[in-house]
Amino acid sequence: MAAHAHDGHLRSPDMPEVYPQFEDIDQQQETYIVGMWAFLVNEVMFFGPLFFIYGLYAWKHNAVFYVTSHHLDYKIGALNTTILLISSWMVAMAVHYHQKNQLKKVCNMLWGAAVCGTAFLAIKLIFEWAPKFDHGLFPTPGFQSRYLAYYGADTNPDVARLFFSMYFAITGLHALHVLIGVLIFVWLIRLIKKRPDVITDYVPTEMVGLYWHFVDLVWIFLFPLFYLMPK
Amino acid sequence: MSSTVIEQAVEREEPAAPQKNYLNADHTIKSWLLTGDHKRIAVLYLISVTFFFFLGGIAAAFIRAELTSPMGTLLNSETYNKMFSAHGIIMIFFFLIAAIPAVLGNFLIPLMIGARDLAFPRLNLASWYVFMLGGLLFIIALILGGVDAGWTFYTPLSSLYSQTQITLALVGLFLAGFSSIMTGVNFIATIHKMRAPGMTWFRMPLYVWSHYATSIIAILGTPVVAITLLLVALERGLRIGIFSPELGGDPVLFQHMFWFYSHPAVYIMLLPGMGVISEIMSCFSRRPVFGYKFVAFSSMAIAGLGFLVWGHHMYVSSQSVFQGIIFSLISFLVAVPSAIKVFNWSLTMWKGSVVFSTPMIYALGFLGLFTIGGLTGLYLSAIGTDIHLTGTYFIVAHFHYVMVGGTVMAFLGGLHFWWPKMFGRMYSEFWGRISAIVVFVGFNFTFFPQFILGYLGMPRRYHYYYIAPEWQVYNVLSTAGSTVLGIGFLMPVFYLLKSLKSGPIAGPNPWGATGLEWEAAASPPVTLNFDGIPKVVGPVYNYDAIEDSESFRREQMEKVTK
Amino acid sequence: MSEHEAATHGHADHGHADHGHGDHGHHVIPQAKLLQTFFILMALMIATVVAARLPYEGGIKGIPSAIAWLVLLGIAFWKAGLVVQIFMGVKYSTKLTKLYAYGGFVWVTLLGVTLFDYATRQLEPVQGWEPVAESALPR
Repeated sequence: MAAHAHDGHLRSPDMPEVYPQFEDIDQQQETYIVGMWAFLVNEVMFFGPLFFIYGLYAWKHNAVFYVTSHHLDYKIGALNTTILLISSWMVAMAVHYHQKNQLKKVCNMLWGAAVCGTAFLAIKLIFEWAPKFDHGLFPTPGFQSRYLAYYGADTNPDVARLFFSMYFAITGLHALHVLIGVLIFVWLIRLIKKRPDVITDYVPTEMVGLYWHFVDLVWIFLFPLFYLMPK
Repeated sequence: MSSTVIEQAVEREEPAAPQKNYLNADHTIKSWLLTGDHKRIAVLYLISVTFFFFLGGIAAAFIRAELTSPMGTLLNSETYNKMFSAHGIIMIFFFLIAAIPAVLGNFLIPLMIGARDLAFPRLNLASWYVFMLGGLLFIIALILGGVDAGWTFYTPLSSLYSQTQITLALVGLFLAGFSSIMTGVNFIATIHKMRAPGMTWFRMPLYVWSHYATSIIAILGTPVVAITLLLVALERGLRIGIFSPELGGDPVLFQHMFWFYSHPAVYIMLLPGMGVISEIMSCFSRRPVFGYKFVAFSSMAIAGLGFLVWGHHMYVSSQSVFQGIIFSLISFLVAVPSAIKVFNWSLTMWKGSVVFSTPMIYALGFLGLFTIGGLTGLYLSAIGTDIHLTGTYFIVAHFHYVMVGGTVMAFLGGLHFWWPKMFGRMYSEFWGRISAIVVFVGFNFTFFPQFILGYLGMPRRYHYYYIAPEWQVYNVLSTAGSTVLGIGFLMPVFYLLKSLKSGPIAGPNPWGATGLEWEAAASPPVTLNFDGIPKVVGPVYNYDAIEDSESFRREQMEKVTK
Repeated sequence: MSEHEAATHGHADHGHADHGHGDHGHHVIPQAKLLQTFFILMALMIATVVAARLPYEGGIKGIPSAIAWLVLLGIAFWKAGLVVQIFMGVKYSTKLTKLYAYGGFVWVTLLGVTLFDYATRQLEPVQGWEPVAESALPR
């Protein structure tokens, strides 16, 4: 909480930048973290309905979803999970190093996370989406006949369409978040290197980190629900 | 208009050189469009929402004009559908949700809690740009032919059958939703972390409490509707199936997801208005708000319960009757915190020295109209009566009593109350009172007949009713009333704008009100709000401690009786 | 030990300590803890894959698929908890952050009220409303 009236403006040059609306650096840092969490609550509520809708349909059409979900390759899913977990650890390390003010290591870790994010997207695109598109499994009109042509009549294609609709909606939105995360990593690294007047403390890295962990969190639920669905 | 208070204020202010404040700190257009100052962003929002309000009003005028005749001769069916859709979408997403939080909330929350600005000024500015981009996209959608699926965008009409510009409109609403989320995040961080020394939670004005509750709803609810509308857009664009039965989905699920947000959204619109009323009631009754903690917690209770009642929009949607019963019970429960507020405002006036100034007339109007709106809501939360009344003009009248009679009255009341603070000038009290009364009378003439129409069974969204020409008299009454209402809404534009140029200088506290924004800040406030952060030592609404309270009341009464 | 590390290493180069809020500021999570968490997460990931590949109901008798769901979701929540607590640092943060961090996950479960609708629909069957194909949710 705010302490004194004018202290915010009378700071020594070695202290981190305090924006004029704040009293001191503690207040500023805490406010940013609270704001970020409020944003993440909003992100939880953003992905929540998608998972809920998926869960509802999976419950109601369990048999079909079970068959259809095994058309996804769980090995690729596990590989991508590993990549995201590594990147999440790297981001946590970046925050750790930034708190110790070892900026070189921060940038290395952020680069590592950005590379992981890119690898995730590449694997997703090349080994998962592209073959599905090739086989006509994107749920546009005519999906049912394409599904029957490719997999044969192993299940109800109407409901399989529902599965693939949810699959592309959720993984697509998640991939969009990954893409945004990678772009933010690159942007943050640039800022850390070029603009020490903007990045004056660890909080920007912490906020980016929170965002990235959230992206990881979505995948943690997405992976078992889509790739490992039991009957 | 020769109040001694104002004359004194003029004498105090006149000799000094024009004070530097947020309005004259910098005059360039760029300084407005790139500002981080919450007060300037509030003014930008004020201009935007006023524009959208009148745009939505024009659509309403067409609706009312069409309904004067049972044959529906003015517009064809499709144009009529587009008109009421445009009216609903603009008024809800681009006026009501933004009006009080983004204009008055933006301006006042830092002032009320003793902060120099909101926590994230650039996010605040970004929210305005996102809002405007959303509004622009929707206006483009209107120009390209409009939207005919109503503001609720029920599938499969919106996703498969409608041939209008729904995708563009959905993107616009998505952006408007994000603007509301940004404002919510900003308010939450600000209220938690930026309060001045001594400003404890229970010393905060109730206005801030209600905005806190609103922001919680905004971040918990808005993303749900955002993703739902996005899925509708995907279903429409790519024909992936999620909500349409032809594509394998379930349309009732869309309604669940939509109302999960859109019922709490009613409280996003209403709660800030309730905060405004608390402030006005206590100032013009010269008494603290009765039962402060009850009013504060009733805001939080409304926010929480509001998330558990969405099913009462869906009694006839084929949702299970068992769920309907539960939603009905919880809907009745919402009446409890709402009633706490109404009773506490009434008791605030009891034994108070009530002054019938412009904001107070608006606030009293709110009290009456909101009570009617709330009580008719009970008819609709009971399943049995709802099956008769749902989808009729009874619903239309009910939510207009809550939305217009509640939110718009509160917005206008708040705008009049804080206008001297925002721009440092007093408006014409005479015209202010006239407009408040005209709005009240016009409103009742417009919407009361619609209760009767709805009871008689006139469906909403129909543009002719030649099967029952006896409804015409009520429709003509309603249209006539809406003309009066429109004039009432136009009047403040003129006298408020005039006051900017030639109104008497207001001075820091023309109403003798309590609160940091009146007692510690100039009118208009300086860019960083205060000369140094104020320290709060006493309770809020400490009207007994204000020495000139009695003389203020006497002067105001003289003005009324004159 | 970690508190101490935060106070000494965390702020040493930053100049905070001179201004008197070195020890009540942010918490630096030790590297070992982060690495340990990562390995636990990896182990859980492998465990969940293995668990899901077990043949339920078909091969091993007596393992109903409900157990499989419980295991998969349990592991997912466990992993999520680790990420939130350690990587996101909620375990070491203020009460306010904890409130928001957990509040969102609690609130999103309210969507589940909708399930009540779908679960009770079959209690009031309506003649002629049975779905034709298995496309829409059964009424």
